Amino acid sequence: MNLPESRRRMKIIGITLLIYAMLVASHEGEFWPFSIYPMFSQAGNPWTRAMVMDVTDLPDEEIWLNQPLESKAGTPVALREIGVDQIDYSNFISKTENWTDSRRDAVRTMFGPENIGEARWMAAKVHGRMIGEDSVAVQIQPFLLVTADSVYMNPLLDESDYFLEENP
Amino acid sequence: MKWHERIGQQLFEPERDQSPGELIFFKCFELFVLVWAISYAWDWGIYSQLRNVEVVLPLGMANYIDVSLFFDHNLALINAALITVLALFSFFRAGPKWLYMVVLVLFHMQYVIRYSQGEIPHSQNLIGMSVLCFAIGAWFFPGKKEMPRFVMGSIIFFIGLGYTSAFFAKLIGTGINWYDGRHLWLWISEKSIDILSREGVYNPNFLQQMALGSTAVASVILLIGWFTELIGFTMWWKKLRPYTTTLIIGMHFGITLTMNIRFDAFVMQLILVGYPWYRLIDRYIESAPVLIKRWV
Repeated sequence: MNLPESRRRMKIIGITLLIYAMLVASHEGEFWPFSIYPMFSQAGNPWTRAMVMDVTDLPDEEIWLNQPLESKAGTPVALREIGVDQIDYSNFISKTENWTDSRRDAVRTMFGPENIGEARWMAAKVHGRMIGEDSVAVQIQPFLLVTADSVYMNPLLDESDYFLEENP
Repeated sequence: MKWHERIGQQLFEPERDQSPGELIFFKCFELFVLVWAISYAWDWGIYSQLRNVEVVLPLGMANYIDVSLFFDHNLALINAALITVLALFSFFRAGPKWLYMVVLVLFHMQYVIRYSQGEIPHSQNLIGMSVLCFAIGAWFFPGKKEMPRFVMGSIIFFIGLGYTSAFFAKLIGTGINWYDGRHLWLWISEKSIDILSREGVYNPNFLQQMALGSTAVASVILLIGWFTELIGFTMWWKKLRPYTTTLIIGMHFGITLTMNIRFDAFVMQLILVGYPWYRLIDRYIESAPVLIKRWV
């Protein structure tokens, strides 16, 4: 191996880098395995995640109410135990813009009716944001009530919370 | 000598003779990469077959192909099987020089099939980049002398570039105040929901409690991590490489402790590429086994 060979290697790396740059530039920073590694690049913004609560034992008038994380009603369902990736679930809930019938039913399929059984599970959004200068507020927002055979939307929320387009 | 030639000298060390230790390490490293790649391919295939229903966020080739086709009829599993067989052929250098590139394309497809659900994880990127470097090496630099030096040098190049790129993404995305400790509070609270959702319970660890208790502590944690990303490119220089790698590994442990994000393959791969393990092997072995020489 010699210097010209080393130059040829850098040339190939340069071409690869060019393809890398073109692909990430035209695909919003991601073309796996190429990436601009944007994780945590936008700091300080409010966030939305999701969790599942078992609300079987809660009275109907309480299940749809927003609640702070510290005083949550219902028991969190451990998604690992039912074989669901919590990151996938969280993104599915927080990034879906139009909750069509098939999207709502996809949540039920994801949980697995056999896992739900006779219970009532609440797919909830969880919102976090800075309050003032020195604290973070985390609020749970009930979103979809899922049973083994049905999915219900929160009657206290506006239709625009479920449908971005005018004609879903 | 131009600047890029100097970097090439550091990455590929053209003056250094090839040793048995280098050959043995290279083949062990290739095995490591392929074991992870095959493991990911099956994990992603099984999950897609069981859980994926609709495409929420199309990534990469999924922008041009409807990957929901792969959610049924065991197609994601068939793709995993294809990746496995072709990766084995590639490992034993059986088949054409471009076979590794086919593995990379199928591997990319498997990633975009699996991660069409809204999340864009990066913990598998290093394994993906390594498969890419093996693909380029096998195609353009075949042979037991050229391929190991190109593959390892190019992987180190892209790792260093990735970390420094992450630094600038933060600088551009937020600005110089990115290291404000309150940003870490928000991330810790966000990740705590993921843990609560996954496990059903969440208790902050000691480091998280310290960060949540003091803006200054949280800011110092972010600042150290951010600085480490900035100097990621110094891995390109062989004398600095072990020190930079050690800092980066420390940063990953810090991320795991503060944000509960694990980087198993990432850290293992950093340990493998960041230190000159071939020197250790050369101390104990005088010549590479014939099979290793044949398969490099």
